[in-house]
Amino acid sequence: MTTTEAQETQSQLASAASTEVIIELNQVNKWYGQFHVLKDIDLVVHKGERIVVCGPSGSGKSTLIRCINRLEETQQGDIIVDGMTLDKNLKNIDQIRSEVGMVFQSFNLFPHLSILENLTLGPIWVRKIPKVEARQLAMEYLERVKIPEQADKYPGQLSGGQQQRVAIARSLCMKPKIMLFDEPTSALDPEMIKEVLDVMVELADTGMTMIVVTHEMGFAKTIADRVIFMDEGEIVEQNEPHEFFNNPQSDRTQLFLSQILSH
Amino acid sequence: MAIVNGEKTAARSAPLTETSFIGWLHKNLFSSWINAILTVVSIYIIYVAVKGIWVWGVEEAVWVAENRRECFKISKDGACWAGVIQWLENIFYGRYPRPELWRVNLGGLLLVVWMAPLWLPRVKNKIFIGLSTVFLYPFLAGYLFAGGDKGIFMQVVVSGAIICLIGNTLHTIIGVFSGGGLPENLTRLLGKTDASDQNQRNTLLAILAAAFVVVFLLQMGWTVEVVPWTKWGGMFLTLVISGIGITSALPGGIILALGRRSRLPVIRVLSTSFIELFRSVPLITILFMATTMFPLFMPEGFVLNKLVQVTIAVCLFSACYMAETVRAGLQAIPMGQYEAAHTIGLGYWGTMGLVVMPQALKHMIPNIVGSFIGLLKDTTLVSIIGLFDILGMLRSISQDVPWRGLHKEPLLFGALLFFIICFIMSKYSRHLEVKLSAGANR
Ligand SMILES: Nc1ncnc2c1ncn2[C@@H]1O[C@H](COP(=O)(O)OP(=O)(O)OP(=O)(O)O)[C@@H](O)[C@H]1O
Ligand SMILES: [Mg+2]
Repeated sequence: MTTTEAQETQSQLASAASTEVIIELNQVNKWYGQFHVLKDIDLVVHKGERIVVCGPSGSGKSTLIRCINRLEETQQGDIIVDGMTLDKNLKNIDQIRSEVGMVFQSFNLFPHLSILENLTLGPIWVRKIPKVEARQLAMEYLERVKIPEQADKYPGQLSGGQQQRVAIARSLCMKPKIMLFDEPTSALDPEMIKEVLDVMVELADTGMTMIVVTHEMGFAKTIADRVIFMDEGEIVEQNEPHEFFNNPQSDRTQLFLSQILSH
Repeated sequence: MAIVNGEKTAARSAPLTETSFIGWLHKNLFSSWINAILTVVSIYIIYVAVKGIWVWGVEEAVWVAENRRECFKISKDGACWAGVIQWLENIFYGRYPRPELWRVNLGGLLLVVWMAPLWLPRVKNKIFIGLSTVFLYPFLAGYLFAGGDKGIFMQVVVSGAIICLIGNTLHTIIGVFSGGGLPENLTRLLGKTDASDQNQRNTLLAILAAAFVVVFLLQMGWTVEVVPWTKWGGMFLTLVISGIGITSALPGGIILALGRRSRLPVIRVLSTSFIELFRSVPLITILFMATTMFPLFMPEGFVLNKLVQVTIAVCLFSACYMAETVRAGLQAIPMGQYEAAHTIGLGYWGTMGLVVMPQALKHMIPNIVGSFIGLLKDTTLVSIIGLFDILGMLRSISQDVPWRGLHKEPLLFGALLFFIICFIMSKYSRHLEVKLSAGANR
C-alpha cells in the first residue's frame, strides 16, 4: 500500500469524526541506539477521533505516543501536530506540548503541591491566566472527574484511582486539543479501573481527540473509532473495533487477540 | 462448626514494663547482668567527668580578676574566666572602634527585623522578602560596617534597601494584624480600590518613586566614618564571611549543578572541572592561593583587599560543595516528574523552578544545613592567613600581657559558642524537615 492509499483508508475509517487532520506521521523511524523501535510509521488522526492502540509488551506503543508530544525524538520522518511540524525548534515544542495533554501509567502528580495547585500550575505559568480564574477552572474540572472535595489534599493522600483522575483533570485544565493516554489503568486495582474509565468515556463523549494505549478491550469496543495493533515497532493492522475484534486480518493480530481474550 | 467469641474483650492497661519508670529501667538498662554492669560503669564514668568539669569550670572558677596571676592566687585549680570576660568585646567585635560598635549591632538588628517576617504567620509575599534579604540587605549592612564616602551606586542601593526595609516592616505589621498586604492597603487609603489594575499599579509605582526620591535626598546627608577592614574581627568577622558564603552558596551551587547536568557539552565540562577543582583542594590551600593568586588575574593597579579575596574564595568553595549536594538532590527526582511538567507545557526553567527544585530542595535540607554548619566552622581557617576572626581573637588572648598563657578557657568558650550556634541550626533543620514532609507524605 502506498502512503496516499493508506491515508485514504484511514480517512474512510474515521467516518465518525470530522475530516480535519490533526495529527500526521509520515514514514517515522526511531532507533534506541541500534534498536529499531518504530519502523516506517504512517498515521493520520482526524479531529475528534478516538483511537485505541494495543499490542504486545515492548512493541513500541508508548514510544509512538510519546513521539507525538516529543517526549521522545525521532530520527527520520515528519510529525505534524495541529499544523505544526515537530523539529528542533524549542518554542514550537512547548506550544505543541501545551495543546497535547498526556496521562501516564504512574500518574506523575507533583507530590509537593496540593491537588488544586497541581491543576493550576499549567494554566497560571504557561497560559498566564489570573490565579482566581485558574482556580475556578480547576474546580470545574475536579467536579467533572468527581473529586472536588479532594482539592486541598496532597497527591500522597489519595487512592490510585483518584490520583489518575486528578492527572486527567490536570491535563484538561490546559484545554488541550488532543489527549494521549499511556496505559492509564494498568497500575490500578480492579475496583478503581472503572472510575477512571468512566471519566475517559465521558471525555470521549465531549468530542475530544484521544489516543489511548490500553489493554482494556471492553473500553476499546465502546469508545474507539479505530483500533491500531502494533507489533515489533510496526503498525500491523488498523480497523474499526467491531471488525478488528471479530474479523482480524493478519496472523499476528489473531494470535494477540486469542492470547488476551482467552481468559 | 463456627467458632464464636460472644463476650466483648474490655481494654486493659498495658503491662508495667511498658509504662512505669522502674519497668523502663529494667527493660533498657538492667535487662541482663552484663547490661547492668555496663550501665553502672558508664554512670560512674559520666559522673567523674561531669564532676571534674563542674569543679574546674564553675565551683573553683575565678570570674573577676585583673590578670592571670591574680586568678592563680584566688584559686589554683579552677578556670580563669576573668580573662575571657575581659576580652568579651574583642571576641565578638575584634578591634572594631568602640564608639562605632552600634553600627555592628544595628546591622545585626536590621537583619533580624528584615528576616523575621519570613517566620511570622499571615505575612504574604515571603518570597519577595527573602529575595530582598539576599540582594539588598548586604549592601546596607556593608555600608554600615565599612562606612566612608558613598559612590553613586552605593547611594542608589542604600536608598533602595532603606525603602525596602520600611516597606517590608509596614507590610509585615499590616499582615500580622489584618492578614492583608501593603499594596492593597495603600490603594484602599487612596480610595482607588475600584480603579483598573493598570491605574492601581501606576499609583503604586508613583508612590514608590516619590519615596525613593525622599529617601535618596535624606541619605545624601548621612555618612558614617570609615572603619578599615583590618579593624574588623572576632565573631562579627566570622559571621560576615560565613554569612556571605552561605547566601551565595545556594544560588551558586544550583547554577553549577544545573551546569553539570546541562546538555551543552561546553557548559557541562566547564562546570564539572570547576566543581572538581575546588572540591579536590583543601580550603586552607584555596585561601592561601586566593591571597597570592587573585592579584595576578587583576588588572594593574587594581588592588583587592585581603578580606574580599578571602570572601570570594570561601564563596566559590562553598558553592562547589553545595553543587554536589544539589546534584544528589536532583538525582532523587524521578524522570516522570520532568515528563509531567513538560506535558503541561512548562519549559526548562519552569520545570526546574516549579517542579523539580522545590522537591529536590526538600530532600536536601539536612545536607544543606550540614554544609552551612561546616562552612561556619571552616571559616575559622581565615585566622591562619592573618585575619582576626573569632579563633584569631581567642588565641590572641594568650598573647596579651596580663593573660599570657591563658589557652584553655578561651578555646573552651569558643567551642561552647560554636556548639550553641550549630546545635540551633541543626535542630532547626530537623524541625523544617518534619514540617515540610508533613504536607506531602508520600
Ligand atoms: N530509553 C530506552 N532506551 C532503550 N530502549 C528502550 C528505551 N525505552 C524503550 N525501549 C525499548 O523499546 C521497545 C518499545 O518500548 P515501549 O515502551 O514503547 O513498549 P510498549 O509497547 O509501550 O510496551 P509496554 O506494553 O510494556 O508498555 C522496548 O523493547 C523497550 O525495551
Ligand atoms: Mg508502554
